Amino acid sequence: MASRRSIIPGFNITMGLTLSYLAAMVLLPLAALFVKTTTSTWQEFLQTVTSARVVASYRLSFLAAFAAASINAVFGFLVAWVLVRYNFPGKRIIDGLVDLPFALPTAVAGISLTAVYAPSGLFGKPLAALGIKSAFSPLGVVIALTFISLPFVVRTVQPILQNLEIENEEAAASLGAGRMQTFLRVLLPTVLPAVLTGFALSFARALGEYGSVVFISGNMPMKTEITPLLIMTKLEQFDYPGAAAVAVVMLAASFLILLATNLLQWWGKRRGIWV
Amino acid sequence: MSTIEDISSRGPRLSKAATEPALVRWALTALAVAFLAVFLIVPLAAVFIEAFDKGVSVYIAAITDPMALAAIRLTLLTAVIAVPVNTVFGVLAAWAITKFDFRGKSVLLALIDLPFSVSPVISGLIFILLFGASGFFGPFLAAHDIKIIFAVPGIVIATLFVTFPFVARELIPLMDAQGSDDEQAALALGAGGFQTFIRVTLPNIKWGLLYGVILCNARAMGEFGAVSVVSGHIRGLTNTVPLHVEILYNEYNFAAAFAVASLLTFLALVTLVAKAIVERKARAAMRAAASRRTSGGPHEH
Amino acid sequence: MSIEVRNITKRFGDFAALRDINLQFSTGELVALLGPSGCGKTTLLRIIAGLEFPETGDVLFDGKSAAERTVRQRRVGFVFQHYALFRHMSVFENVAFGLRVRPRKFRPSNAEIRDKVNTLLKLIQMEHLARHYPAQLSGGQRQRVALARALAVEPSVLLLDEPFGALDAKVRLELRRWLRRLHDELHVTSVFVTHDQEEALEVADRVVLMNAGRVEQVGTPEEVYDNPATPFVYTFLGHVNIFRGRVHRGHAQVGAVEIDAPEYTDADNAPAVGYVRPHDVEVFREAGDPLAIPARVVRVQMLGPLVRLELATLSGGDPLEAQLTRKGFQELNARPGETVYVKMANMRVFI
Repeated sequence: MASRRSIIPGFNITMGLTLSYLAAMVLLPLAALFVKTTTSTWQEFLQTVTSARVVASYRLSFLAAFAAASINAVFGFLVAWVLVRYNFPGKRIIDGLVDLPFALPTAVAGISLTAVYAPSGLFGKPLAALGIKSAFSPLGVVIALTFISLPFVVRTVQPILQNLEIENEEAAASLGAGRMQTFLRVLLPTVLPAVLTGFALSFARALGEYGSVVFISGNMPMKTEITPLLIMTKLEQFDYPGAAAVAVVMLAASFLILLATNLLQWWGKRRGIWV
Repeated sequence: MSTIEDISSRGPRLSKAATEPALVRWALTALAVAFLAVFLIVPLAAVFIEAFDKGVSVYIAAITDPMALAAIRLTLLTAVIAVPVNTVFGVLAAWAITKFDFRGKSVLLALIDLPFSVSPVISGLIFILLFGASGFFGPFLAAHDIKIIFAVPGIVIATLFVTFPFVARELIPLMDAQGSDDEQAALALGAGGFQTFIRVTLPNIKWGLLYGVILCNARAMGEFGAVSVVSGHIRGLTNTVPLHVEILYNEYNFAAAFAVASLLTFLALVTLVAKAIVERKARAAMRAAASRRTSGGPHEH
Repeated sequence: MSIEVRNITKRFGDFAALRDINLQFSTGELVALLGPSGCGKTTLLRIIAGLEFPETGDVLFDGKSAAERTVRQRRVGFVFQHYALFRHMSVFENVAFGLRVRPRKFRPSNAEIRDKVNTLLKLIQMEHLARHYPAQLSGGQRQRVALARALAVEPSVLLLDEPFGALDAKVRLELRRWLRRLHDELHVTSVFVTHDQEEALEVADRVVLMNAGRVEQVGTPEEVYDNPATPFVYTFLGHVNIFRGRVHRGHAQVGAVEIDAPEYTDADNAPAVGYVRPHDVEVFREAGDPLAIPARVVRVQMLGPLVRLELATLSGGDPLEAQLTRKGFQELNARPGETVYVKMANMRVFI
């Protein structure tokens, strides 16, 4: 890491402090997690991370996060589109509210969504009448995860839509394309990398979420138990190696998603779509 | 290069060739608003409705309960430590990253963002593994009678971890866009490094910095998962406001849980308003930086 | 295909972009809409294309109203100022776009599309760049791709918005000559918008001069340059000397010059302005011509084949500009500070 000769002062001190704090605060603790897993044997590790209850939790976490990210990919794109392209009363308030899930503590989101979707709640009651159990079921997990990961797609797609050149759509129309053809052939390919990036960010966030889900899921092992909750349970039973093992698997998954997100960004840039 | 300019000048001015029939526009808008109503507005309103479900007196009793007040004090204390520390770090990191060229910059950027991609539960777990009774530093801490896990220091440390990237991540793109021309001019005029930072850099980045601080604070006060792992839930001692909400809720004391939750919700709304204001200013600063960088260059679109 | 623009009016809020525009474009013509920025020329072009709609008036293609036809249905080729190429498509796919989006019944086969696109790429001399993306092209290449894309749908009318505006000077010069040759080959009725008078005069068959939402003059490049119909046209096309004075019963007194102004026989001591092009200012060494007035040479500038003289008339007022050929200047042999005699060979007076 060599600084190029620069007349701006402070490289050594700012870089030194940054790296020290980063190492102490982030890298060392994360390293501790990996070191902890080495205290158990490979067999024990595999046994822990592939036990039926753990696998069931992966399944739920993965599928629910995937469902939530998919819902947000579609509706987030729609919300971004409406916010950028159309005018309607209350638009600015709606635009500001999109960030609510980032600002609202997850525990509050959890109890509030539970109140709304419980069998006696505003949405829970009609859903129950239709025979659909929302809170205390996998559906409840999806609802909570949709809430907490809602802003990502909106906020990644919005600036891309804003920067689109209207002339591109006019050009398509002047060449004889219908509005739907223009959407599918001109708009969607341009916005797709942003939608996918937002999807990946939503998915990563939903995968690790804990606070909002514990209230709404009911936390039944094998049925509505997400992986972070399982780690929590193992911790409460002082099964630290077990907790660390499952955490390592989760972390690896998160890093893979992060890598995929970076590749997506790179792809978008390479296509010359994001300048 | 002119991308940011276009946002402000264009707005939703669209020619007929590039928009949909009124009916389609109306239907899409209604669908988007309905989605946000179901997922955002109803849950938001539910907090306040449930909080006042049993009347104002229950509400006031819940938020003036000594345990609630202790939780509020602890949450404020946590934020008062975590926000300034991570703000200083954010500024240092942004300076090092944007004012100099060095190898491995993108790796460093990825590492700074790392806490965002770690599950809150894991964020707590790693500190149990370090400082817990059977953790790496456990015996040392026990020998010196220092308590971190299931005590206030653990809560602060876990909060520091989860709020680590916020300020840096807001400042880096802003300072990157602004470049170092102003600083070089100040230094050439004889200003010292620190003077240059206070008089030249800080005024340029103040809105972006404030924006990062607001987001950092919201997360510091609202963090649940990581803090829950390290706190031990000792009432009046290691209970933050979000944890207090959980305890009340699990005791089926719903009205009180929502009353305390309404405080956090109010904080979230204030955060959103502050964010909206500051974001506009920060965007203007970004725009100014972008246009300054491009003006004077050849005018090729 | 001929185009007729009839009584077009367009407002943006309080701003009147176009006021009662009436124009005719004949089949196969290449016409320039020329004017300063904000004069309404681009709005007019977009209305012809169907990208904007006027408050009043109509656009007729071959005598048929296009009011009810959208841009899709008008079959016009439109070339955007910043090209508006599809960034995620190769050059080939950009050009093929208009063919691929046709309703299935009218859509050519893939082989036909390939042939057609390749022919067009050959026409714009870019066959070798078919697989490239717009980001990898130079400005001039992008412009040619945009043109080929518009031509692929065999438009009956070609509309170009500031086609050379975003290019640097040298490429601009090459490309406009190329466009002229291309037009002579294809004979598609073409209208292009420009703010560059040199471009309009060089490329177009006819020039429409616009200002503040109105048409000031329509004519061939020679007509508009030699016989400007309004003071605006005089000042907008090329350099001009301006003299302030008065007109009284068909006789003008502007600056130190007196001339007849037969078109203003009714004028009663009205304020007037006289316009003279620098090359219409004749300069003599000796007094002699009764209409010549004395002036002092302030500055001499060599501009390639021409010589520009800055002169001060003895009666004061704005400095006067004269343009001579090098040969004419050698014969004159005047130096700064010396006195010469000038005569306005061709002055137009407007009240």
